[in-house]
Amino acid sequence: MPYHLFKCSECIPEREKHAVIKGHGEDLTSALPLGYLNTIPGSITERGCAYCGAKHVIGTPMKDVIHISHGPIGCTYDTWQTKRYLSDNDNFQLKYTFATDMKEKNIVFGAEKMLKQNILEAFKAFPNIKRMSIYQTCASALIGDDINAVAQEVMEEMPDVDIFVCNSPGFKGPSQSGGHHTICIAWFKDKVGTVEPEITSDYVINYVGEYNIQGDEEVMCNYFRKMGIQVLSTFTGNGSYDDLRAMHRAHLNVLECARSSEYLCNELKKKYGIPRLDIDGFGFEPLALSLRKVGLFFGLEDKAQAIIDEETAKWKPELDWYKERLRGKKVCLWPGGSKLWHWAHVIHEEMGVEVVSVYTKFGHQGDMEKGISRCEEGALAIDDPNELEGLEAMEMLKPDIIFTGKRPGEVAKKIRVPYLNAHAYDNGPWKGWEGWVRFARDIYNAIYSPLHQLALLDISKDEIPTDKGFATRRMLSDVNLTEEVRSSTTLREYTGKFDCLPDYTKTKNDPLPKKVLSGAA
Amino acid sequence: MEAMIHDKMEQLLDYIMKHCLWQFHSRAWDRKDQNEGILSKTTQILCGEEPAHETPADRCYWVDAVCLAEEYRKRFPWLTSMDKAGISELMQALHERMDVLTITGSLNQELTDQHY
Repeated sequence: MPYHLFKCSECIPEREKHAVIKGHGEDLTSALPLGYLNTIPGSITERGCAYCGAKHVIGTPMKDVIHISHGPIGCTYDTWQTKRYLSDNDNFQLKYTFATDMKEKNIVFGAEKMLKQNILEAFKAFPNIKRMSIYQTCASALIGDDINAVAQEVMEEMPDVDIFVCNSPGFKGPSQSGGHHTICIAWFKDKVGTVEPEITSDYVINYVGEYNIQGDEEVMCNYFRKMGIQVLSTFTGNGSYDDLRAMHRAHLNVLECARSSEYLCNELKKKYGIPRLDIDGFGFEPLALSLRKVGLFFGLEDKAQAIIDEETAKWKPELDWYKERLRGKKVCLWPGGSKLWHWAHVIHEEMGVEVVSVYTKFGHQGDMEKGISRCEEGALAIDDPNELEGLEAMEMLKPDIIFTGKRPGEVAKKIRVPYLNAHAYDNGPWKGWEGWVRFARDIYNAIYSPLHQLALLDISKDEIPTDKGFATRRMLSDVNLTEEVRSSTTLREYTGKFDCLPDYTKTKNDPLPKKVLSGAA
Repeated sequence: MEAMIHDKMEQLLDYIMKHCLWQFHSRAWDRKDQNEGILSKTTQILCGEEPAHETPADRCYWVDAVCLAEEYRKRFPWLTSMDKAGISELMQALHERMDVLTITGSLNQELTDQHY
């Protein structure tokens, strides 16, 4: 087994089985790190907790809901600013954060009364919002507050409201992924099947594991709409609480982030017989294949093909402009979970970069199976890395850029490696054909930033060139290009708008064509 | 001859492992169903037969099989010169290798978890 023990982790030898280097001729039966285990004591993990995974990742993107944390105010830290799951109701779920603000006295005397008071106050403050989710935290779980009983009491007193309770305290572990699991199963058991939806098309899907980061969901739903497909619910980005209670009426579950929500699709398949189709919304070819599959399922492949042809013709010259300038750049692909396999092969094939390492903070071994399969030989795969291992890996691999979260990203900047925010994006959306070009543009801008070039110089030891002054990205990126590429009239830089989303949403309220479906459902 | 089949099988395998997701469902029983459902239908398509796709479950396997067969024909032109018996033998070898990589030889400790 090609395990890799970091020098900095020699004092934690158990860490050895959490990193592998994919060597020549090795496959998944010989190269797979451990994963989804409790963090080893002594390793300062970058993971989030099970409460964070349930609330901040899965629950809160639901748009028409008051989301309350029953716990200390600090548990709500990762809400404002760090999250970018937009919604089309003026971002209600991003603008307002609720917590019961538990204190020491509540630990001693209990906090159920205070919770009820908070629930009533929140509904009173936002009389148009009739749905709520309440999240257990470590503090309220340890004292044994019965949140379900309080929620039931409120629902009996206020028949027009509905409340979902998620019992996923942080200590439930082993990472935020534990929270994803808990909330998926809880939502399925408690809420799915409790509302009957209005069906407006003969082709009905749930779009699962999509969190509308900077508008991704709006982009994808636009394609589905153009094909005549009704997206009954999105779990959970820009998703509506009551739509998600009606998931049992879809004909197909289209699954994007299998890491966070495959549990829900599996349960829907088991109980309601709704099949699960895994797709890739990132990258020209994977996205084209994904739309083609959804189209084939419903007999709408011609409509899918029309979208594929139009979008590819429009955006391929722009993607290729960046590919010429990114070719051979070394990337550490260090996201939280699913993007390690969504992106591993396609950024190599479509943008020309070399993925020298993949890691996952909370992924399972299944995610590593996908990621390692898609990487080229020699890639270093790390499960639940700590900060020192990240630094050591960067020293060893010398990447041109890393794609990761804010915390490890800022660490990378200290050693002069630029990073892009793989969780919340820089200038998204990154899904869709145009989105993929925007991602390429962000990579290009980060690598060739003239400011970054200056940061590579250490004024304490490097000689500072005095014969060079003004520089632009283009001057830096085009130095080694052939004249043919440099002066190409077919390749071009991104031509889209600063905010491209309105173009994708202007037809969202148009009625879908109705046609009798044969055989598909 | 055996080496030639092995070489071709590796090419087919490499495409699946790099570009598909269906082989990595979370439990062993799911992976068995996926490998069987999709690869058997792909074999039928490559042999010029029309696989069943009336039920939602069959249709889902069929969708992946159609796309896989299309990609195989596009990327591996040597497939078109093979007869049905040769294609079936090759796909059987692929199926067996897929089962080893994703199920019986997999190091993934979650595959045998009793629950989702």
